[in-house]
Amino acid sequence: MRARLQFQPQAGERKTAAGAIALAAVFAAALFALAMPSAVLAADIKAGEQKAQVCAACHGPGGKSANPMYPILAGQPAQFTSTALFEFREGKRKNAQMSPMAANLSNADLNDLAAYFAAQPAPPPLRQTTPANVAAGRDLTVKNACIACHGAKLLGQQQMPRIAGQFQDYLRAQLTGFKAGTRADMDGTMSSAAQGLSPQDIDVLADYLSGLPTQ
Amino acid sequence: MKINAALTAALLLAAGGIAHAQQAAAPAPSWQQGMSGDQSTSTLHPLAGLVTGRPASELQLGKLKVPPGFKVEVFADGIPDARAIAIGDKGTVFVGNRNQSNVYAIVSNGGKREAKVILKGLNSPNGVLFNKGTLYVAERERILRYDGIENNLDNPPAPKVVIDGLPQQPGHFWKTMAMGPDGKIYFNIGSPGNIVLPGYIQASISRVDPDTGKFEVVATGVRNSVGMDFDPRSKKLWFSSNARDWLGDEGPADILSMVKYKGEEHGYPYCHQGDMADPIYGKLRSCKEFAAPVHKLGPHIAPLGMRFYTGSMFPAEYKNNIFLAQHGSWNRTVKQGYNVIRVVVDPKGRVIKSEPFLEGFLTDEKADPPMWGRPVDVQQMKDGSLLVSDDYNGVVYRVSYSK
Ligand code: HEC
Ligand code: HEC
Repeated sequence: MRARLQFQPQAGERKTAAGAIALAAVFAAALFALAMPSAVLAADIKAGEQKAQVCAACHGPGGKSANPMYPILAGQPAQFTSTALFEFREGKRKNAQMSPMAANLSNADLNDLAAYFAAQPAPPPLRQTTPANVAAGRDLTVKNACIACHGAKLLGQQQMPRIAGQFQDYLRAQLTGFKAGTRADMDGTMSSAAQGLSPQDIDVLADYLSGLPTQ
Repeated sequence: MKINAALTAALLLAAGGIAHAQQAAAPAPSWQQGMSGDQSTSTLHPLAGLVTGRPASELQLGKLKVPPGFKVEVFADGIPDARAIAIGDKGTVFVGNRNQSNVYAIVSNGGKREAKVILKGLNSPNGVLFNKGTLYVAERERILRYDGIENNLDNPPAPKVVIDGLPQQPGHFWKTMAMGPDGKIYFNIGSPGNIVLPGYIQASISRVDPDTGKFEVVATGVRNSVGMDFDPRSKKLWFSSNARDWLGDEGPADILSMVKYKGEEHGYPYCHQGDMADPIYGKLRSCKEFAAPVHKLGPHIAPLGMRFYTGSMFPAEYKNNIFLAQHGSWNRTVKQGYNVIRVVVDPKGRVIKSEPFLEGFLTDEKADPPMWGRPVDVQQMKDGSLLVSDDYNGVVYRVSYSK
């Protein structure tokens, strides 16, 4: 079971949609053959799978991109993915390739897609961190409270993306964008978190995070 | 939120900083500021609402509890990031946004209730207030007025500016408003960070005359008040305020308080909850110098919207009680709040009792997230029922009573 799933549902208790999605993700990922209480499923993973077919061209099958131009979507917390798609749709976050893909999505589409990608296991990291940056990277994630939001293992939770095992170049570009104010974020918390990072810090973090285990 | 060099400079000045902006390191993010070294591995983090909201059919309404005779239902869904509520003379329900940029109107359309965006592209229009045909909207750094809006919901008039140029600040920039018996708009200017020396109009409750634009500070040392109302009996201003973070689970308490006179000092950042000296600023002034809160609500409860109940739908003993929405903790390992409480107060400003009124959003105090909904504001409808907004689900609930 993935560490980012901290919902600890109790038997018979209905959970939040985010919880339900994450719970569904655990079931799906672990291929449990148990009957899933369908009423719990707010967003629809099956519908999401259909809707995600067009995404594969760039983000790879199941969102397991192997091309550093396109971020890995597999295993991202549902609330993060729906938020990111919302930001593209509303024009707050802009990208020539991605913006048109989100422009016509409905709220239900956002949540179905998010549920689907959350249910796909994240692929293992594609590279290893330079040994010199292991301790330095770890220190930066503590000092800047990255671990408070993105989770102790940086696997993401709720609105916070998994940053462990994402592409190095992508991480560097996003952190640089947050610091410069060119990458939008939902409530300003991430932009403020990036203000104290120097370009060297960002290099170390991109190297460190991209080599972290994704489970 | 973008923090540019100019803003950083303004912040440093506002915070009484002496460093030159060019040389200064970026300030700690406002939510994180005041965190001590031994808290660096803390897993506490701010929570965020669902950007699309959640349809009524997916809510766990069965979990909500109200006292006997009361009933809670969804009044309207589809209002992502639902924050302050105001009610128009003709019954329109207006709802503001904090992280998003819309103002909504909930209207009845041929028997069907619907929420529609009437204003968009605003800068954190958290506060909404309706008075004598005019809708006031408090954005991040200004207050706007839309005269005659209820006659033109589909094509709102261009706004006029009531006040502009309020401090640019990274934290606590969302505003709430109350109409005073003097016809002035009372509103908060929060502290720019968790625990800092505020600029002289920050960490205040201020007022502005909507006709002349005249501005005055009414009370200082109020860290961040996101709820205020006037006692219909004494005409005194009551307010809720959120205490500082990162001093642990047990304190300081968030407060409910009353302003006795203009210019009254309420303690922040020197003194919290009336009797707890701040570890950094407590040396500078003594708690004895400040107004003590009327009531300690509890640590990390996050009190937001509050209103005196003046309707006649609820039983007589609810008359002039305060309803207070508590958004709930993030900076506490064991979470609490996420409810609406009823506080019985006398006209002199004393608390007689305080008890839960609407509960059931908290699912597991140790889980992350611990809740499925977060109350933000309370507002009385013309029929005496009570509306409650929830910015996690983008929903407005209605609590009614019948014998
Ligand atoms: C034509 C190529 C393309 C297609 C097709 C595409 N995307 Fe993207 N997507 C991108 C690019 C490029 C980015 C990175 C944008 C940036 O740098 O900010 C991106 C970013 C994203 C992100 C943000 C991820 C993160 O970690 O920040 C999400 C979520 C996303 N895409 C979802 C989708 C979904 C869902 C679909 C299908 C409906 C889709 N994309 C289709 C190119 C594409
Ligand atoms: C207060 C919480 C918070 C802190 C602290 C924080 N983040 Fe974030 N981070 C977020 C949120 C929320 C997002 C999503 C923003 C959005 O797209 O709206 C995010 C997004 C990101 C992204 C973009 C990833 C993607 O797939 O798009 C990166 C990279 C990132 N954070 C790295 C970091 C690093 C490194 C640190 C520490 C220096 C850090 N974060 C600290 C909340 C936080």
